[in-house]
Amino acid sequence: MTLRRPLRHYLEAYAFLALLIAAAVFFSVWPETSETFTSAANLRTLVSSNSVIAIVALGALVPLVCYEFDLSVGAIAGLSSVFVATALASGTAVPLAIAFGIGLGLFVGCVNALLITRVGVNAVIATLGISIILAGVVNQKTGGIAVTGDIPLGFSEFGSSNWLGVPKIAYVLALVAIAVYYLLDHTPYGRYLYAFGSNREAARLVGIRTKLTLGMTFVISAALCGAAGVLQVARAGSADPKVGETFTLPALAAAFLSAAAIKPGRYNVAGTLVAIFFLAVLNNGLNLAGSPEYVSNYVNGAALIVGVGLAVRLGRRQEV
Amino acid sequence: MRDGLEVRAGTNGHPTVLKAERVSKAFGPTQALADVSLELKKGSVHALLGGNGSGKSTLIKSIAGVEAADAGALEVRGERHDLRSMTPAQAREAGLHFVHQQRTTFPQLTVTENLAIGRGFDTGAGGRIDWRRARRRAAEVLERFQIDARPDQELGELGPATQTMVAIARALQDQADAADGVLLLDEPTASLPAPEVSLLLSALRRYANAGQAIVYVTHRLEEVFAVADWATLLRDGRVVGSVEPSQLDHDGLVELMMGRTVEQIERLRGRPEGSTVLAAKGVCAGPLSALDLDVREGEIVGIGGLIGSGRSTLLKALFGVMPLEAGEVRIDGEPRHIGSPPDAMAAGLAYVPEDRQADAAFPELTVSENLSLTVVPDYWHRGILNRRRERRDTLGLFDSFLITAESEGAPLRSLSGGNQQKVVLARWLRRRPRILLLDEPTQGVDVGARAEIYELVHSAVADGAAALVASSDFEELARVCDRVIVLRKGALVAELRDGDLSAEVIARHANAEIAA
Repeated sequence: MTLRRPLRHYLEAYAFLALLIAAAVFFSVWPETSETFTSAANLRTLVSSNSVIAIVALGALVPLVCYEFDLSVGAIAGLSSVFVATALASGTAVPLAIAFGIGLGLFVGCVNALLITRVGVNAVIATLGISIILAGVVNQKTGGIAVTGDIPLGFSEFGSSNWLGVPKIAYVLALVAIAVYYLLDHTPYGRYLYAFGSNREAARLVGIRTKLTLGMTFVISAALCGAAGVLQVARAGSADPKVGETFTLPALAAAFLSAAAIKPGRYNVAGTLVAIFFLAVLNNGLNLAGSPEYVSNYVNGAALIVGVGLAVRLGRRQEV
Repeated sequence: MRDGLEVRAGTNGHPTVLKAERVSKAFGPTQALADVSLELKKGSVHALLGGNGSGKSTLIKSIAGVEAADAGALEVRGERHDLRSMTPAQAREAGLHFVHQQRTTFPQLTVTENLAIGRGFDTGAGGRIDWRRARRRAAEVLERFQIDARPDQELGELGPATQTMVAIARALQDQADAADGVLLLDEPTASLPAPEVSLLLSALRRYANAGQAIVYVTHRLEEVFAVADWATLLRDGRVVGSVEPSQLDHDGLVELMMGRTVEQIERLRGRPEGSTVLAAKGVCAGPLSALDLDVREGEIVGIGGLIGSGRSTLLKALFGVMPLEAGEVRIDGEPRHIGSPPDAMAAGLAYVPEDRQADAAFPELTVSENLSLTVVPDYWHRGILNRRRERRDTLGLFDSFLITAESEGAPLRSLSGGNQQKVVLARWLRRRPRILLLDEPTQGVDVGARAEIYELVHSAVADGAAALVASSDFEELARVCDRVIVLRKGALVAELRDGDLSAEVIARHANAEIAA
């Protein structure tokens, strides 16, 4: 209460970013991890592996702005990666395979959108159901075995090489992040999404076409996840049928946490990136320090609860 | 409304039952209450008046022990309590009964259950609930308070007005015979239509005459004149007057409340009537059956009627929110199909819904964003949303629509109710609509903002628009409208203008059955 508004505002907006930097600094100087954490190889792996999840999280962010959950984000990325890997292995041209992966996402996104806006199924249920079905599709396609055919060398090289010392995949993430930021913050559509998230009925009554607006979020989300699936193939040089499922929860967690950073109380792009990389640095550092795997579960879960809880409290205090 | 409620005994000589002394409370930098004192006499109705944010609700909450005060004491029948540490249980023990502004009833439970939750269930052997007794008691209470509901009805099935009455009955149920009770009501009439308001007010008067002491928060001045023995006026958390209402007139009270003279809004009667802007023929929707309506340029047409009469439905159907089952709508002579709000907006309509919180406010978005949602595409130019122009326009709108806000980037929820309502209105008026559809445009808004809202409507109409105003506040309709149509059960039963136009006449037509 004694803090003046601007200072308090900065604290709220950048506390999370400060935590990210603090965690990175800590692991850089902590004797247990100082050597391994700061090695170029470790940092590049950290950035490139989390870039894929970050794109999935940016996908989940779009419907979340409308307070709708897309639980199928990971499954769509997994589906895309398995089918793209198979297509590439059987000699499909790379541009075609990329379009195929994104197209698969678009298709699933349209199904989600129709189920939610036309049939009227609750989004959580619709996307949960779709994600289970997609897991089945992936399993049928692969028999549960990773797809490791002849992925064109140039394609997998893109996923593992650097440009100016930074993994090329990170540049893709940057482009996607800018695109989503532009969509949410600089187009009428983005403005409508935030309005929709704030008060659905009022949004309808100011003339926003609610079904179209909401449906589109699931299509955009799925298309981004399709693209993330393509990148995952490039990065790993293969497609693990299980990898999709592992994306869903961290991606959603980061999208939720975005409301605690940069623009407090609002789900936003920069906050999503901060959250993804905060959790990544924390997990990576603990991992390097040799802590058992369950510790990272504790950390991720606690970070989500504390972060979102804090965002809610901050939001409430502003009300007074 | 004043008829029949004037049985007021002088209460000056009566003993004091409740005394709040020097109550203070701050929320951050905002002083919600500063040294507020209040004295309540046995057998009196004491009105607590003030604009939005004047501290009325905070005072009630402090007395109830819901909100700890920073300083202050309470004396109930000689017993002293410290308001810094008052709890709801203590307030209850002291014999204070409250009906708060927020909903405290349970829509999924039955009327019997709702009433029993307030006083505890009657139990039989083994602690089981004695439903028969509970139902009988509920039936008695409903009868006593003249509430049109059955004990087994789910509360949510009832209209909002009846639900409020059940909440009031719950607080009062044990008080009917106890002669020294204290009842504190926080804006109980905010969502009640006029006839039910007077029903409730006469009930309050009856209880007061039987010896109850009642504190009654409101910002409807007519009610104060109708029922209160004494009025305490709050402004910015301070007591600015403590008067017998009969000593002051309407304008005097307003002046005390607002700290400035509020110009009475005069109807601009006798204006040359323009061409017909809206012509609806045979409109059927919800309760409405074959309604015809013409609205001319420069006209403010009121729609009077009870809840369920179709007054809100008419506006919703015109704006494409509810399907038009039959009928034809012409705007400026052109037949228009309006199936959705975008259609309606394209036809030049604007709609301010009845329930601001539920249907119009975007509380987390900024004031600027709230204002521009109806015109966002105008700021979209060559792939860029021109925020600078948006902000500049917002500041202009603050001036022209009399909006007071900390900044254009403040969240809407940080504004007072009146200012929020002006934002909602400005959002539409900036589009320069042909026809304004306003549903209860001043509900939950203080007198000052109320006058300003109608000023804005007037100037829009003077520029060639037309307005349709639905309201349960018949006084207000009579004061601001050029013409009022009265709906009853979906049918147009009267059209009043000039000499015929008064709150009493509207009320008589709105509930002809009751009058007959």
